[in-house]
Amino acid sequence: MVKSLEDRIFNLLVCLFLGLAALGAILPLMYVVSVSITPISEVLKNGGFILIPKAVTFSAYEQLFTQTGIPRAFAVTAFITIAGTAVNLVLTALMAYPLSRKLMPGRSFFLLMILFTMLFSGGIIPTYLVVKSLGLLDSVWSMILPNAVWSFNVLIMKSFYEGMPEELFESARIDGAKELRILLQIVVPLSVPSMLTIGLFYMVGHWNEFFQAIMYVTDRSLFPLQVIIREILMMTQQPLENAENVLPTETMQMAAVITASLPIIVVYPFIQKHFTKGMLLGSVKG
Amino acid sequence: MKKTKRVALTTIIVLLGMLLAACGNAKPKETGAGGLADSPAPAKSSGKAVKLDIIEPGNGLPSPDQDTIKQELDKALGTDLNLTVYASGDDYKNQLNVRMASANFPDLFTVDRQQLKQFSEQGLLLDLTAYQDKLKPTIDFIGEDSLKKGTMNGSVYAIAKSPQIPYNTYWVRKDWLDKLQLQPPKTLDELYTVAKAFTDGDPDGNGKKDTFGITGGKMGAFNTIFGAYGIGFEGGPSLYIHDNKLINSLYDPNMKDALTYIKKLVDAGAVDPELMANSGLQHQEKAIKGQVGIIYIDWPNITKDQFAEQIKAVNPNAEWMQLEAPQGPGGQYVSSWDVGMTPALYAIPKSLEKNPEKLNKVIEMLNYVSTDGSKLVQYGVEGKHYNLDGDTVVPTELLGKEGAYFWLYQFTGRPEMEYLQVKFAKQKPYIEFADKQPHIQSYGGFIDYPEGYNAVDATRYIEEELTKFIYGKRPIGEYDTFLQTLESSMNYKVYMEEAERQLKELGYLK
Repeated sequence: MVKSLEDRIFNLLVCLFLGLAALGAILPLMYVVSVSITPISEVLKNGGFILIPKAVTFSAYEQLFTQTGIPRAFAVTAFITIAGTAVNLVLTALMAYPLSRKLMPGRSFFLLMILFTMLFSGGIIPTYLVVKSLGLLDSVWSMILPNAVWSFNVLIMKSFYEGMPEELFESARIDGAKELRILLQIVVPLSVPSMLTIGLFYMVGHWNEFFQAIMYVTDRSLFPLQVIIREILMMTQQPLENAENVLPTETMQMAAVITASLPIIVVYPFIQKHFTKGMLLGSVKG
Repeated sequence: MKKTKRVALTTIIVLLGMLLAACGNAKPKETGAGGLADSPAPAKSSGKAVKLDIIEPGNGLPSPDQDTIKQELDKALGTDLNLTVYASGDDYKNQLNVRMASANFPDLFTVDRQQLKQFSEQGLLLDLTAYQDKLKPTIDFIGEDSLKKGTMNGSVYAIAKSPQIPYNTYWVRKDWLDKLQLQPPKTLDELYTVAKAFTDGDPDGNGKKDTFGITGGKMGAFNTIFGAYGIGFEGGPSLYIHDNKLINSLYDPNMKDALTYIKKLVDAGAVDPELMANSGLQHQEKAIKGQVGIIYIDWPNITKDQFAEQIKAVNPNAEWMQLEAPQGPGGQYVSSWDVGMTPALYAIPKSLEKNPEKLNKVIEMLNYVSTDGSKLVQYGVEGKHYNLDGDTVVPTELLGKEGAYFWLYQFTGRPEMEYLQVKFAKQKPYIEFADKQPHIQSYGGFIDYPEGYNAVDATRYIEEELTKFIYGKRPIGEYDTFLQTLESSMNYKVYMEEAERQLKELGYLK
């Protein structure tokens, strides 16, 4: 194919634009990574800005993992993320599937109830009272159960299930399958891409968990990662109230940021491919 | 297809299993926590550790198993302390408000003046007036004057920490002064000359005009300049008393002159151009990076080992020295010093009345950290974190390593000067210097805001308008108009009247 000059210029412009956009996304990340592995004296000498580290040290990470509550918080967060996402997915699927079936009695009533929660929420104090009276205060479950289902994700799943052709279910029934079998052996396998996508939403939500932890947990050994990281970052934001506080250096802050975001960055590419399959599209793939 | 099916099936089973496990685990906790929160106090003192829930703002607390102070206090008092600290003030407020609203009270918590007023009026706080005898060791430790700070409508609702001492002064780059052959400024005129020279004279000798004169945390950078005009100013207007008359900085007759002088500094380019955007410790960062020659800051943030090392790393020749407050038309004061302020107010919930065992433990703890346990919460464990040489405390290396969080347990404060000189032996001259500098005594910390006065709005408006005057966005001739707007639309008059009434009540005004 012969390319005209116009095409070439257009291509060049597109490449340039995309390249700049990519740079804009990568540079801040690079800055964070570089600062976190550069000795603090080197960072300060350069006025606090470093893109390519001239000297490399991992002391900030070492400090982070030996002198702060990070390792423990990491374990807590990992548990919340795995168990929480599992709870989320099971409950969301169990809720969305019946709502997607036209045969289900009281379907519009339940749908309305779900929509209602999206528009009106109880507020912090009533929620706190519920969590308290369920005895969830100061347990990891206080960070998992109050948000076990997100209404919006239920609606997405529901419309996904609705996209499945009725004939599929009919034929299954003719073959003798009951509802549970249809759900487990037909619906779930077909909805793996959308489950994974929604799972990623849930997962990121759990990984970034901090508000519920602040509200419901007072036991320091149950604090998730974000709370500890936030503490490290906040320390330098406020003027020193107590002379003996040792403030984390900039390199340590950056190391904390990396520690908090790396796992999600690592997981993302593996799930990303399912995004391309789409979750709002039809279920039956060619 | 088949494979996916199997994977999906196993996934579902695993997930369901996890869910079941989740429910199973949650149950015992449920009864445990619920029972604790709801059941009335056990009548008998069972000899079991009393669980005390304490919340306060703070940071750097280690987990309970590494928390020496917690363990020692538990041992001494027969308690199980659960201290939770919140790094962000907003987080702390959220947590406290939610717990107060849902009657899940912590056994000891800090409040600010506003919360003290609100919660005491709602009847949520324990009136400590009746417990003064029991709290005698604590009151002796913090001093009778501190008791006033926790008093609201005639009743004591909170224990104020013992007072601190001033830390802040101007700091100047000695090596820059030497390079430009200048003397440390002693008057406002000399301060102007030096600040301007630091901007224009290339004091770091790199051939670039990349330095400037004065910085600080927002308006705080000018505290000492206001002081030289005899105005008490601490990042914002202060309330002070002159000839038995209550004065607010904004109404001080010298205010216009002070603003004019600052405008002159700004016009000369001698002030950090990002001054009003400096949040947190950004001004300190600028000082460490060698971008600024004069800074208004506390001694810890510039002389502590951690920062001294950083300063040396950037420029080995850098040498910061404290500056005496310069002489001006109104005298020489570093700033104002609010005698009504306290590092923290600790309150006990009214609900503890029904739980005498717990209440006694809280009181016992407050008394303990004020007397026998005072050394523990200051310096740690004897023989481990410090040694006694006669009466003097000699810190060990371990104190420097582990001691950064001990202050979280100093519920009633500490003898500030003595304490700092032990913990910061190297910084002793700076501590004494800052403490001895003249200050205008101010009283704003005592004042409770009256109905109809929104302190946040007023403070923001004042800061905005003062910034405009300083940056020449609004001519100084409009200063009186500014005051009128403040009075009419911000209810400032009501605040001032209330302040006068309250200070009379406290006996500071006759």
